[in-house]
Amino acid sequence: MLRRLAVISLGLALLFAAIPARTSRPPRYGGTLRVELGAALASLDPVNTPDGSSGAAMAKNQIDSLIYAPTGPDGTFAGAPIGGPFILSSWQPGKSATLKANEKFPQGRPFVDAIEITLGRAFRDRLLDLELNKTDLTEIPPQDARHAAERGVRLSQSPPDELLAIVFLNDRAAANETRARQALSVSLDRAAIVTFLLQKTGEPTGALLPQWSSGTAFLFPASADLPRAKELSAQISPSPKFVLGYDSADPLEQSVAERIAVNAKEAGLMVTAVGAPPSPSTAKSDSVPDARLVRVPLLSSQPAAALNDLLRDLNALVPGIASGVALPESASPQNIYNREREVLDNYRIVPLVWIPQVYGLSARVRNWIPPAPGQNWPLADVWLDGPNAGGPNADGPDAKATSAPIKDPE
Amino acid sequence: MTFRSKLFLNFIIALLLAVGLVTAGVTLVTRRVFDQLNGQHTDAMVQQFQHEFERRGQDVAHRVKAIAEEEATTRMAVDLSRPNADVSVYVHDARGVSSSHQLNFLDFVGNDGSIISSQEYPARFGYKLAWVTQPDDWAARGAFLMKVDTDQGPALGLMAVSTVRVGDRDLYVVGGERLGKEFLGSLVLPTDMRALLYLNLAPDFQEPNLIDDKGPAPDADRFQPLVEKIEADPVEQTEKISWGFDPSNAEVFHALPLVGRQKELLGVLFVGSSQRTVVSLERRIRWLALGVAAVGLLLGLLLSWWGAARVTRPVQKLVAAAREVSHGNWGSRVEVHGHDEIAQLSKSFNQMTGQLVEQREKLVQVERVAAWRELARRLAHELKNPLFPLQTTVENLQRAREQNSLQFDEVFRESTGIMLGEIDNLKAIVSRFSDFAKMPQPELAPVNLNDIARNVIKLFEAQFGAVGRPPITPELHLQENLPIIQADATLLHRAIENLILNAMDAMPAGGVLMLRTQTIEHGVSLEVSDTGSGLTPEESERIFTPYYTSKQHGSGLGLAIVQAIVADHGGRISVESESGVGTSFHIDLPSSPPHKPQVFPMVFEKKEVEA
Repeated sequence: MLRRLAVISLGLALLFAAIPARTSRPPRYGGTLRVELGAALASLDPVNTPDGSSGAAMAKNQIDSLIYAPTGPDGTFAGAPIGGPFILSSWQPGKSATLKANEKFPQGRPFVDAIEITLGRAFRDRLLDLELNKTDLTEIPPQDARHAAERGVRLSQSPPDELLAIVFLNDRAAANETRARQALSVSLDRAAIVTFLLQKTGEPTGALLPQWSSGTAFLFPASADLPRAKELSAQISPSPKFVLGYDSADPLEQSVAERIAVNAKEAGLMVTAVGAPPSPSTAKSDSVPDARLVRVPLLSSQPAAALNDLLRDLNALVPGIASGVALPESASPQNIYNREREVLDNYRIVPLVWIPQVYGLSARVRNWIPPAPGQNWPLADVWLDGPNAGGPNADGPDAKATSAPIKDPE
Repeated sequence: MTFRSKLFLNFIIALLLAVGLVTAGVTLVTRRVFDQLNGQHTDAMVQQFQHEFERRGQDVAHRVKAIAEEEATTRMAVDLSRPNADVSVYVHDARGVSSSHQLNFLDFVGNDGSIISSQEYPARFGYKLAWVTQPDDWAARGAFLMKVDTDQGPALGLMAVSTVRVGDRDLYVVGGERLGKEFLGSLVLPTDMRALLYLNLAPDFQEPNLIDDKGPAPDADRFQPLVEKIEADPVEQTEKISWGFDPSNAEVFHALPLVGRQKELLGVLFVGSSQRTVVSLERRIRWLALGVAAVGLLLGLLLSWWGAARVTRPVQKLVAAAREVSHGNWGSRVEVHGHDEIAQLSKSFNQMTGQLVEQREKLVQVERVAAWRELARRLAHELKNPLFPLQTTVENLQRAREQNSLQFDEVFRESTGIMLGEIDNLKAIVSRFSDFAKMPQPELAPVNLNDIARNVIKLFEAQFGAVGRPPITPELHLQENLPIIQADATLLHRAIENLILNAMDAMPAGGVLMLRTQTIEHGVSLEVSDTGSGLTPEESERIFTPYYTSKQHGSGLGLAIVQAIVADHGGRISVESESGVGTSFHIDLPSSPPHKPQVFPMVFEKKEVEA
């Protein structure tokens, strides 16, 4: 059964279909898609959740979506042996996985014959492999997207769909505690974080949903107000002190945490950034964090569902941090705004920035569309260009010439 | 203590003082020399630090200038000089550039003083580094010390600033090296010296801020007073810190204040010099000095002993000779060597003893002549008494023959009778003299002096109470358990008889005769006292002279015999007399007389009372 082009929800397909030259070509079958990932997965068992950063969980989820059929309403995979568009043909835990096209996939056979996935590859090597055409698809850390683009790498960037926020682990209702959290929140220069640390890849936010999703994010102030922060801090005696934990394996979290400490110091707050394991439950640091940085993905393009999912995930990280009744699917923007405001009023969740997903692509990759929030990589719809698409140097010397950054349509 | 011992002791004291002074002097001089050497080492270290500091400063300034002159920096400056320049692209540049130029600190600072990129504090981008925009000739200033804020806290840096000017806008390159344990580790230190650095980065003394080349220095609290002293007066200071009771564990620290651009105290360099070597050398020298002193002392002891013996030998000879003189050997002589004071004293001693012998011989000769004269006088006197009756009788006989022959026979009988009587007197006189001349030697046997005294008194009891004579009361005070002595009982009996007879003659009007015996050291004593008229001093002096008597009918041999008997027993006799009160004779007799009876000089002890 031959594959038809997938219909992309939310009209995003239309947006990204505006890439005229590449998508106008007819699709072709064959070839091996080479994918390099930073995460070193130890298992592809759908029941297991990988330890490590959120990137590892996301990578596993993406691979699982290729080999298992989704059955659950929450997007989890049931583990049907031949449920996905690809079949796992070889597996070396932590190193590599090879997927073959599932000829019997109900939606049609994928365009590529196989996908070779290399695991645990460092970003520097992945970037180099992209430049040398040794890989076709890889993740690019958002803070390095600008640098990669300057080096001529073809990029694909999703709309901002991952929230970086501070969550306070303890619910201390004392006025001073709330005031201290508020002081920290207003002391933060989110724009500088985006500009300098994310190299303009992302958007500062004070809201739980991105502007493109809810349309009301601008109502939540995201700019720094140092005088106000100092004023709030001065009302608290003794001077507030926080230990801010971050994922020690995530350089972005580390740099953001350090910047937060600098901003807080200017406001008269003492924030100590401490590297910690990604999960709060496994924290073993000598300094028990009062708060930590978290990266929460947006799982839906629908604002109400997205907010529900977001709060559910935050509650899973810090139980009780965003309690309340879930919004209905048909919730109005006003209700969504009110819900956001309700959750944010006690400053236990301090949104910082929305971060997009950035991918680096080789020149021969065709029909790649960044997945929408809650969607998986559309690798079954990707085909490889060129006469020797199956070989390692299928695109040959002209690959560089044809590569160009694919910017977010916004 | 003998003279030799005193002299020897003086020598020893002088020697000890000399040795002590020399040892103390050596120790003092040694310590001063070591202190000077120590000071020189420390000065050398301080100079080395200053040279190293200066060299590193020049190196830092050179590297910062090199960064400023790089093409990439120039491009950055050009880019940033444009309106609305995007500074975010340079946010990570400092890290790579500092790494390639081996700088611990590097900041790219914009024209307004905003940090564009920071190596030591990456998250501090966008904040102002105001001091760097203040007017200053950074090229001329060179390197300087500065407190640098880092993401790990404040640090001390040796910094330099270089500017890149594009149009009217400056890009500041602020770079430097951390002044810490790596810097201390790069200093070449002699053995027993170490360098510590206190980073004065906090208002109060912080122990972890005192570091050595391995990290935080132990026992940092000991440096707090010195740091505080330098904070109050930032000049070089030196202080010794003891790490225990053992002086070799002490260290002398030279503290060098490190100040920044505004003369603020940013650090203190401690150059420590261990006293281990110095103390060890001092101890070695001290032990050597003590060893030499001990040997010298021993040698001095021997020399002192020899010297004292040499000096005191003539004196000892003089003492021995004087002792011989005191024992009666007036002819004692000492050898005279040299011409020093001792020799002169010896000569004087010999002269003195010579004169003594000469005077004694003269005295003996005079006494002998006097004795012969006295003897002649006594003989003439004794013989003259019988001769005068003989002469008268013979003349009467002649006269009777011529005048009256009828009465001649009667006269002849009477005259011959008188003449025979006087001849008997002459014989008696001759016999007494003969007896005195023939005094026997004592035959020694155990004798109880009390028994002899009682026997003699018993003989005279009848005479003491004789009719027609004033009574004499004998009193015996004889000590019980008087020691037995070796003596001739007969001679002693005769001596006591003579003394009692003498006492009876002295008490014609009666009185008390007292005999007292008692134990004395090495013998017994006998006292015979009367309550007679007593003797004059002249009589007391001559009373033991043979043939001298103060009585009309005495021979003058009684007391001379007593004195001779006492002398033959090795004893001594003395007399005490007080005119009008009485006379006491004291006889001391040894328990055992010497083999050869000594000739004791006569001793006259007089007790005169003014009449």
